[in-house]
Amino acid sequence: MKVLFVCAGGMSSAIVVNALKKEGQKHDLNLEVLAVGTQEFDSEVRNGWDVAMVAPQVKHRFDGFKQSADEVGVPCQVIPPQAYSPLGGPTLLKLVNELLEK
Amino acid sequence: MEKFVAFLENNLSTPMAKLSEQKHLRAIRDGVVSALPFIIFGSLFLIIAFPPVSAESAIGEWSAKHIADILIPYRLTMFIMTLYITFGIGYSLSQSYKLDPLSGGLLSLAAFLFTIGVEMMDKIGFVLPMTNLGGHGLFVGMIVSIFAVEILRFCKTKNVTIKMPDSVPTSVARSFEALIPVTIVLIVMTIITVVLGIDLHSLVDKAVAPLIKAGDTLPGVLIPVFLITFFWSFGIHGVSVVGAVARPVWEVYLANNSAAVAAGKAIPHVAPETFFQWFIWIGGSGATLGLVLAMLLVAKSSYSKTMAKATIVPSIFNINEPVIFGMPIVLNPILIIPFIVTPLIGATLAYIATTIGLVNPTYVMVPWTLPAPIGAYLSTGGDWRAIILVLVNIAISFFVYLPFFKMYDRKLLAQEGNIETSEDTNIAL
Repeated sequence: MKVLFVCAGGMSSAIVVNALKKEGQKHDLNLEVLAVGTQEFDSEVRNGWDVAMVAPQVKHRFDGFKQSADEVGVPCQVIPPQAYSPLGGPTLLKLVNELLEK
Repeated sequence: MEKFVAFLENNLSTPMAKLSEQKHLRAIRDGVVSALPFIIFGSLFLIIAFPPVSAESAIGEWSAKHIADILIPYRLTMFIMTLYITFGIGYSLSQSYKLDPLSGGLLSLAAFLFTIGVEMMDKIGFVLPMTNLGGHGLFVGMIVSIFAVEILRFCKTKNVTIKMPDSVPTSVARSFEALIPVTIVLIVMTIITVVLGIDLHSLVDKAVAPLIKAGDTLPGVLIPVFLITFFWSFGIHGVSVVGAVARPVWEVYLANNSAAVAAGKAIPHVAPETFFQWFIWIGGSGATLGLVLAMLLVAKSSYSKTMAKATIVPSIFNINEPVIFGMPIVLNPILIIPFIVTPLIGATLAYIATTIGLVNPTYVMVPWTLPAPIGAYLSTGGDWRAIILVLVNIAISFFVYLPFFKMYDRKLLAQEGNIETSEDTNIAL
């Protein structure tokens, strides 16, 4: 399962990425997760990702991200603020699974 | 209260944030950001040229002797930053219009070079004067880049282009496609700067002078500081929104400050972006390092304790989204108060300290993820008093956040008590 995160610079989501990875290990899931900045998203999302997660602080740019993600059929959603923390792993994993089922 | 917050979010913060996503503003922001690595690289040579040691020491004497050579990497990057930025703006804007970004970037660069003018020097030959290629020419660079790409777009959408027969290879056809917009843009630029002899730089200088002056006053510092935390209070990346408008001005300050240092003159501006980064946003937007320290020292609820341990290391490196969204500060009426107040106090203190000469103004740009005392020391060209100012601002942040955090922590503790009895420990989520 390949999950792409996007935040302003790719820095803060790297922390959240680790939370998701840890949660994945607990459930013996093979997760590939990458965090990118807003400028890289448009080109990166085309490289075969299963899900795209948008950091809450860049939700005002969601329409643009959604457009890029839709072009390659990648489901895309804004992360709820409370889940965007080092302790947010369980909620994030749930969210990723829900997105994949759609 | 909730209705009021929802009102602000729907009618103020979200529309304003959307505004910053306007195509031209976004292209300017992305263009400036794309030049940052070059600016950081170049500005480091200012530290080598003016090392924070006494002029009599071996290092001091060495750099004084070789100063012209040491500054060459600076002159070819930060000193001519607008050259890089115009290409970046042209590239990003054409990309957002789904035009060929390379053509857009190059055309913007050419349009900008046409505003510079060529000089003839004995023995050397033709030269481009460098002054306006730097921060000084930034506003002209922004305007001509947008002009160039808009012409490109106009020609494309109105089909004003040279059509090649189908047998011509696509790459050849594409180079002819750009010929008409290139011709239009560069003829217009030639008419303005050569035929009419108009110096766009001095014209635009006059137009933006009030703005440049206003941004360097105390209100000019406090307004962006307030807006940035205001946006973050709704969970919107404040620097990214406010910076879209303010960053060109901040870059001009930084360019002017560094140029003044390189020329051995007094530093003119208080408020480049480095001022905000190192003296105000200690631990990230909202100066939350003090909050995390308070969490580490006095937290009673297990949620705050866990958050403190998880967020202290990123906070030292000025990454605080985990604090902002995790505590959360976003839409949290208790923590929003110190989140907005602390930076305003820190900014006022730093502004006064800089204007009365207690610390050097900042003129070196270093990566924003350095711990604040180190970043402040380097960006003031090695002024140890900057470290003290940072430590004072951390202490202020700690004491302003402390009572609000205690109040919030008690609330969390009470919730934990309730939840444990209902056998659900997952209080955070």
